[in-house]
Amino acid sequence: MAVRNPLDLIAERFVQIGLPEELFKKNKFNLLVDRNRVVVRYPAPGVRSEVVETPTGVKTKVYVEPGTKLEEPVTLCFGAAEATEVQTTEGEIVVGEGADVKFRVYGAMAEGIKLKHKNKLKVRVERNARFEFLDLHYNGEETFVELETETEAYVGENAYFRSLFKQTKGRAGKVRIVLKAEVGRKGVAVFETKMIGKKDDEIYVEDVIHLNGEEARGISKSRIIAVDKTKATFVGETYGNAPKCRGHIDCSEVIRGKEVTVKAVPVVVVNDETAKVTHEAAIGSIDKKQLETLMARGLTEDEAVDVIVQGMLR
Amino acid sequence: MVPILTINDVKLSIDGKPILKGVNLIVNEGEIHAILGPNGAGKSTLAALLMGINDLKSPDEGELIFRDKLLNGLSIYERAKLGLTLAWQEPARFEGITVEEYLRLSGRNNPDLNVEECLTLVGLDCSYLFRFVDDTLSGGERKRVELASILAMRPKLAILDEPDSGIDFASMEDIANMIRTMRDRGTTVLMITHREEIAEIADRATLMCDGQVVQTGNPKEVGEKFKNSCVRCEVRNPELVGGE
Ligand SMILES: Nc1ncnc2c1ncn2[C@@H]1O[C@H](COP(=O)(O)OP(=O)(O)OP(=O)(O)O)[C@@H](O)[C@H]1O
Ligand SMILES: [Mg+2]
Repeated sequence: MAVRNPLDLIAERFVQIGLPEELFKKNKFNLLVDRNRVVVRYPAPGVRSEVVETPTGVKTKVYVEPGTKLEEPVTLCFGAAEATEVQTTEGEIVVGEGADVKFRVYGAMAEGIKLKHKNKLKVRVERNARFEFLDLHYNGEETFVELETETEAYVGENAYFRSLFKQTKGRAGKVRIVLKAEVGRKGVAVFETKMIGKKDDEIYVEDVIHLNGEEARGISKSRIIAVDKTKATFVGETYGNAPKCRGHIDCSEVIRGKEVTVKAVPVVVVNDETAKVTHEAAIGSIDKKQLETLMARGLTEDEAVDVIVQGMLR
Repeated sequence: MVPILTINDVKLSIDGKPILKGVNLIVNEGEIHAILGPNGAGKSTLAALLMGINDLKSPDEGELIFRDKLLNGLSIYERAKLGLTLAWQEPARFEGITVEEYLRLSGRNNPDLNVEECLTLVGLDCSYLFRFVDDTLSGGERKRVELASILAMRPKLAILDEPDSGIDFASMEDIANMIRTMRDRGTTVLMITHREEIAEIADRATLMCDGQVVQTGNPKEVGEKFKNSCVRCEVRNPELVGGE
């Protein structure tokens, strides 16, 4: 019997839960980790990295050299193609002065597995650098993940950091996402979370942004769709600590079903009279007019809901 | 002339307040039919009842008949499947849905769908295909996209609730032409309007006042009646009849 390349099996399992097939076909990954095994490593220009396997996962250190500008995103995948009890990932990313890079990170938990995943990430975006961290999660419909993830970011002078957490496919599971940022002078931090919870999923999202430098800006935006018996909580805290800083919290949770419990807690604190932090929070069912408009164009109610939800999660 | 829509003595109260007080109206297949009337006459309520939106699925009394089918009680989806649709007076805004996607969804049962052409007909260029149907579109642009979505869908009957409101005066001719095109492509149009120059493109017109039909006939005559002799309207809404 021919020995099968382990990557083929991983590809099969991950494509099954919705990962784009071309990621594998075109060898897009710069790093692919299955449970605690590094399966693919391929360098990206201007990006130095260290990856160490641990008994339950991996530790990574990434350094983007100053001035590095990449058109293509650096593509990473941390997943589990087969059952394992725990996966722990720890990372440190430093984006050097004036660099401009995007990381696209796939979290992939194969169909049917149960798993606890703990993740800790430290990010430092140096002066004049731009960094986008797109965290795209794929689970199976029968997968159950207990995810705890914590990101601490420092955004330097005139730097830009955007972090997107998006649960793209499958069940959310029990999720706790904490994102913290300290933003320096004229720096920008954008936190976005887009999730859908079904059955008895539990979602907790906490965004904390400290605008410490003059004219720093922060945006914390969440879109959570809660279906069936989902419990969802969003806590957004923005602190305006410096002159002329601007912050905005924009949270919208859509409920569908009588047994969901959702909560939104925007906290705005301003410690400088020229700072301004605003918030808008909306919790409610799917907008009726949107629904009726699509149905008047011939979509069934379920189809219309799907279009609206996918739009919100885009 | 074949009726496509028959409204038979329709009465409707909302929260105990009579809004429609026995509306009778026939719309013929292939025509552009204008509904005129002052603010609060019940025009949008009638439109909502025809489409089944806002929880208005059936009148308290009377019948809504669309090509031999009773609409009373049908869902919005069922009515749309029969070939009926509505363009809202204030259209909905959608997050994360592009104009192109919206037009393709609207026209998914139209084998001749051409989204670029739908946009051109409402006076928008193709760059709008990539815009989102959210609050980044101006009021007039959103209204145009709504009309484009009706062109995309190509229904048998389109109810247009004030297609001209929010559209700049200079573009009235475009809107008039677009409505004619809609008709020429097989869509019967029932349009609510306050503007004479739009009402004039209609084949027939109906004047509604205080929940009732006052007159149906030639658009010019009906328009004159609205301006000059609709006493109740004058009292309720002087600015519409040249007062102030
Ligand atoms: N849900 C409601 N609850 C209470 N009153 C309502 C409701 N919907 C409509 N009405 C009332 O019914 C009347 C008719 O309203 P409608 O919107 O149909 O008027 P219209 O003819 O479309 O006016 P306009 O020209 O201003 O658009 C108005 O007096 C309005 O206040
Ligand atoms: Mg109206």
